[in-house]
Amino acid sequence: MKKHLTRIGLLMVFAFSLTLFSGCAEKQAVVKDEAVQEQKAVAAQAASTTTVDDEAARKAKEAAEREAAEREAAKREAALKAEADRVRAEKNAAALADLNIQNIYFDYDKSSIRPDAREILKANAELFSKKSATIVVEGHCDERGTAEYNMALGERRAQAAKEYLVNLGLNASRIETISYGEERPLDPGHDEKAWAQNRRVQFLLK
Amino acid sequence: MNIKYRLSFRVLLTALFMVGAVGPVMAKVYIDIEAPGFQQFPIAVCDFQIKGTQSIRSSDSGITIADNIRNYLGLSGIFNLLDKKSFLDGLEPGVPETIRFSDWSVIGADFLLRGDMTVKGKDATVESRLYDITRGQTLFSKQYAGTTDDLQALARNITADILLALTGDEGDFNTKIAFVIKKNTGSDIYTMNYDASDIKNLTNHHSIVLAPRWSPDGQYFAFTSYKNGRPEVFLRHLKTGKEKRVSSFRGLNLCGSFSPDSKKLLLTLSKDNNEEIYVLDIDTLALNRLTNSFSIDVSPAWSPCGKKIAFVSNRSGSPQIFIMDADGNNVKRITYEGNYNTSPSWSPRGGRIAYEGLINHKYQIFSIDEEGNNLIQLTFDNANNEYPSWSPSGRQIVFHSSLGSKSRINIMNANGMNARVLKEYRDQLVMPAWSPRLKE
Repeated sequence: MKKHLTRIGLLMVFAFSLTLFSGCAEKQAVVKDEAVQEQKAVAAQAASTTTVDDEAARKAKEAAEREAAEREAAKREAALKAEADRVRAEKNAAALADLNIQNIYFDYDKSSIRPDAREILKANAELFSKKSATIVVEGHCDERGTAEYNMALGERRAQAAKEYLVNLGLNASRIETISYGEERPLDPGHDEKAWAQNRRVQFLLK
Repeated sequence: MNIKYRLSFRVLLTALFMVGAVGPVMAKVYIDIEAPGFQQFPIAVCDFQIKGTQSIRSSDSGITIADNIRNYLGLSGIFNLLDKKSFLDGLEPGVPETIRFSDWSVIGADFLLRGDMTVKGKDATVESRLYDITRGQTLFSKQYAGTTDDLQALARNITADILLALTGDEGDFNTKIAFVIKKNTGSDIYTMNYDASDIKNLTNHHSIVLAPRWSPDGQYFAFTSYKNGRPEVFLRHLKTGKEKRVSSFRGLNLCGSFSPDSKKLLLTLSKDNNEEIYVLDIDTLALNRLTNSFSIDVSPAWSPCGKKIAFVSNRSGSPQIFIMDADGNNVKRITYEGNYNTSPSWSPRGGRIAYEGLINHKYQIFSIDEEGNNLIQLTFDNANNEYPSWSPSGRQIVFHSSLGSKSRINIMNANGMNARVLKEYRDQLVMPAWSPRLKE
């Protein structure tokens, strides 16, 4: 029975990494398309503001080209970074799926650990105690409200989860916190269902 | 002299009106364009005449510079620009200028701007004259030197003088607005001129970037970026473009605001296990903690006099605006309406704080005085209006407005009137920050 479960688990990890691969390919295509549109927008901007003089128009064009080149370079760098992030995330996802680590969720504008989250944290703590890797606790918020306040709220949620894990016996020096505020939603929707999914703490091992 | 007389009469009227309406706090000693009773100045701006023998292109310059001035006057939100098609008093070329004031008053102009321009190669010399039509007087006659390459700069200087003559303040013409463009692939900070021209990227991080802040002396720019995978605060020297990481403690490093002397930067850090407000000395990087509470303390904003700091805290259960002394003492809550009030921004003229608050499930911009009195709601539409930031003159507020898939940077007068779209984009345009006056 246990063997059977592990096999299913492995299959799921495999399927998940496949979706990651295809998801990324799509994203890169979008990035390229956006870059082209952006250059057009920059050129249009330059054209609309510099009808005064040919000289100014030429300068603006040069600046736009330079800017576009810089942007391309940055995009390439970002793509490399994204690739590295993806590899890391994939490893993490595999490790977490293997371990069955679950997210915990929060009420609106709150950072207190809900009763349903306590059971999950206990189960997670047990799984973490079998590993030696550093635990990264990520705090997230829904899209409502101010980005800065949500950054603080996300950090508060991560801290609350960390404290809970420490109280369950995990070593504090093993646990890092990071807040992503409202910047990394799980569900891109704009309703209560999406928001409830996004007010969360996620765990990573590194 | 006379103009002052006239303006003070208007102020008196405005003040009388205000006492009944909102309370005596708003009454100012000069013309109060924030007052609800304020009427826009009707002004006629003539195309500038080109002196001497000129090419066809330079006569276009006279039209261009006048168009630029009209545009800038419109942006200030306090002028009603009369259509030049309605002008009766034409100028005959070569005839010395005489102003037929009755021809202007009959079309409703209170003020008239005329000018002429001499172009030699790339050098442009402009003389511009502002008239008070009702009193039949010249308010100023002034010469400007510039180049045909940058007629916009000449127009900005002339417009600033018009504002100075009529309101005692040069306005916001030599300013920029920084903002964040948020995309799925990452965010970056951009800047644009006050008229939405000349959009440039300030950062190339393609990461989570937030809390853009100008130093009051216009030298530095600070912000938070995740470019190294976690939130850190960066300081950029605007002229050299040099970027320095100034805060990278464990946990959250969130950029606050600069001190009025631009020597210190307020931060929100969670290095002591809780989000607290700290002050960082930019030269020595010495750090001093200001708040002590088990709750969230975030978004600090320094008062223009340097003595006080406004910030957001949820110590009373929901996010509200508080004020404390610059050393962290005398903490006082100033917002009590609603249960979500954030993003405080202090008027450069002092006294008032703009912020965003949740009302009827929408975020709207409000302003309140530093004692917590005289609360005014400034936006009322269907959109979510957030991140207010004052212009250096204290007369205008820039803010983010989103409705459905539309994301905009808007500007309004500080009393909430004359709201207008500055920039609309397909990606999220957020966190606008108005620059100080930038010396060119």
